[in-house]
Amino acid sequence: MGQETVDLSVQLGSLTLAYPTLMGSGCYGSGQEFAPFVDLSRIGGIVLKSVTRQPRLGNPTPRLVHTPSGMLNAIGLQNPGIDFYLEHDVATFADRPCTMIGSVAGFSIDDYAYVCERLAARREIAAVELNISCPNVASEGETFACDPRLTARVVGAARATTDKPLIVKLSPNVTDIAAIARQAQDAGADALAVVNTVRGMAIDVQTWQPRLGNVTGGLSGPAIRPIALLAVYEVARAVTIPIVGQGGIESVSDALEFFLAGASAIGIGTANFIDPRIPERIVDGLAAYLRQRNLHSIREIVGRANVGFANAHQYEGDED
Amino acid sequence: MPSLQTRARVHVTTISDRCELAPGVVLLGLHAPDLGKAARPGQFLMAIPPSGAAAAVALGIYEARADRASILFFVCGKRTSELSTLRVGDTLACSGPLGNGFDLSANPRDVAIVAGGAGIASALLPAEALIAAGARVRLYYGARTQALLVDAQRFADAGCELHAATDDGSAGRRGYITELLEQAQDRPDMVLACGPTPMLRAVADVARRFGIRAQLSLEETFACGVGGCWGCVVPLTAESAQAPNFPREDRGGSDVVFARVCKEGPVFWADELRW
Ligand SMILES: Cc1cc2nc3c(=O)[nH]c(=O)nc-3n(C[C@H](O)[C@H](O)[C@H](O)COP(=O)(O)OP(=O)(O)OC[C@H]3O[C@@H](n4cnc5c(N)ncnc54)[C@H](O)[C@@H]3O)c2cc1C
Ligand SMILES: Cc1cc2nc3c(=O)[nH]c(=O)nc-3n(C[C@H](O)[C@H](O)[C@H](O)COP(=O)(O)O)c2cc1C
Ligand code: FES
Repeated sequence: MGQETVDLSVQLGSLTLAYPTLMGSGCYGSGQEFAPFVDLSRIGGIVLKSVTRQPRLGNPTPRLVHTPSGMLNAIGLQNPGIDFYLEHDVATFADRPCTMIGSVAGFSIDDYAYVCERLAARREIAAVELNISCPNVASEGETFACDPRLTARVVGAARATTDKPLIVKLSPNVTDIAAIARQAQDAGADALAVVNTVRGMAIDVQTWQPRLGNVTGGLSGPAIRPIALLAVYEVARAVTIPIVGQGGIESVSDALEFFLAGASAIGIGTANFIDPRIPERIVDGLAAYLRQRNLHSIREIVGRANVGFANAHQYEGDED
Repeated sequence: MPSLQTRARVHVTTISDRCELAPGVVLLGLHAPDLGKAARPGQFLMAIPPSGAAAAVALGIYEARADRASILFFVCGKRTSELSTLRVGDTLACSGPLGNGFDLSANPRDVAIVAGGAGIASALLPAEALIAAGARVRLYYGARTQALLVDAQRFADAGCELHAATDDGSAGRRGYITELLEQAQDRPDMVLACGPTPMLRAVADVARRFGIRAQLSLEETFACGVGGCWGCVVPLTAESAQAPNFPREDRGGSDVVFARVCKEGPVFWADELRW
């Protein structure tokens, strides 16, 4: 396809991705599950399912509800805990043909630092994402990403444990995401993942029961795309570190919107549940788009949304 | 239970034939070079809605021959509605075959297959395999009404003994199919069941009272369908051979783990479920 002529590689701190597409944490297992259906060497990387200090059985069922233009999930961080994970799972990641990024969740600053240090020590793991924004665990989970001070402390503590690239995943369920993004940057984050799921719920009108075992869940898919896009746009204006934009990306044009808003890379989660071929299609489509416009690198379009007129209009608004 | 998933891939199929078995019940033949060959009884596929407007939908593999497989579905929502508009010659991409399928390795000689509603789609392949192996197969088939006892003749032609029940008594016995199973004079040596959850629970009860083992093909809401998201889980005894790896000492005294219906299942031994 003559793909050689365009450069889709991007940089997240010291981490180089051959393609700007990361599979969203919790949506893609460890990649092996999807290997029969995609060429993993043609995706940028996989953000692994979040792991915690202690094993977690996860939330009661049901854990999924399909909703208009998206889905609600409340998995509850089911995982075998860091000890078991390091012993049994991590070694199997070595032969994946794409970049493997660990994801860490926790309930205290100490938890995050501990798991981050142990995970980052493994050579199979190229970078660590801090999931400080999971909406599906009782109380604590999301509080880190909802409080600028706690964000700074948890990122600082994790930063102190490793030199590996550190991505911090932010929540859209806040009033001022830019302020939180700045705290994460100042505390040492190398990149930001924007955003995790939006809180939501669904009720069965026959039984009057919530349709999720956990009562509330996280909304993903196209329903949240404009919310996520605005979050990327606002964060991009507040920080200088790269952003992994995600939330409802399903097509090349969705992806392009995020790059133009200021994302250096994109995350793809729920779209894999429609069609596992979507990530490869997006990579092909991005290459074709760049070629058509005689651009050489995806990096040339990052943050190039032309908002000059809109801004000017705002300032001159009084004249109307 | 077998758990090989080696030949799964995305199959781009062409609709070879289409039949409306009853109002709102559609059978689509899929022409595909090797989907049928790869499928084992009880496996399913994820059909990708051509519009791309909704998640892929889990459907049992109804028939499987060398170059033709088929799906049979009840139109009940957005995705099955879209699939029902497909016509002969249209393209339908599917990931599969997926899941473990029924365990027929014990070579049972007398098997009751209990199917309710759309569960019938997962009943034909095990019936054919068992009959080919010389077993006696009785199909206990339940539906709301006679018209929805779709394709029953197909099972009779394959050599199954038919027992039917309908909610309104329009065909077979009036009432639940599990009541009919319970009244069987000579007990089968194994039960396989596919259908709605309340029916599966009732089958589990009957099998326990009979003192025989039952394999249940569960229906859950899926997202990925391939084991990647842990959204479709069911509680299972940690002693089960199908229990996913989980540190024993850390289950907080619980002997239950969550297994993925799409990956470790969809077929589980009834006596190992803790639902
Ligand atoms: C392994 C497996 C195999 C399967 N095989 C088959 C098969 O062979 N044939 C078949 O027909 N089906 C099969 N199913 C079931 C099928 O996948 C589901 O019924 C699927 O949800 C249909 O998708 P849909 O978009 O058409 O309907 P959906 O929109 O997902 O609706 C499904 C059901 O939920 C109800 N529902 C939807 N939204 C709501 C709401 N907001 N509140 C309350 N109820 C709601 C609908 O009325 C409907 O009955 C299988 C499922 C599994 C897990
Ligand atoms: C089923 C499911 C499980 C998820 N699990 C995690 C998780 O463990 N950790 C995490 O950081 N994000 C998790 N997410 C959030 C996604 O990684 C992603 O940020 C979000 O869904 C928005 O992107 P999307 O619309 O492309 O899916 C999960 C999302 C889904 C749908
Ligand atoms: S549907 Fe994702 S693990 Fe089963």
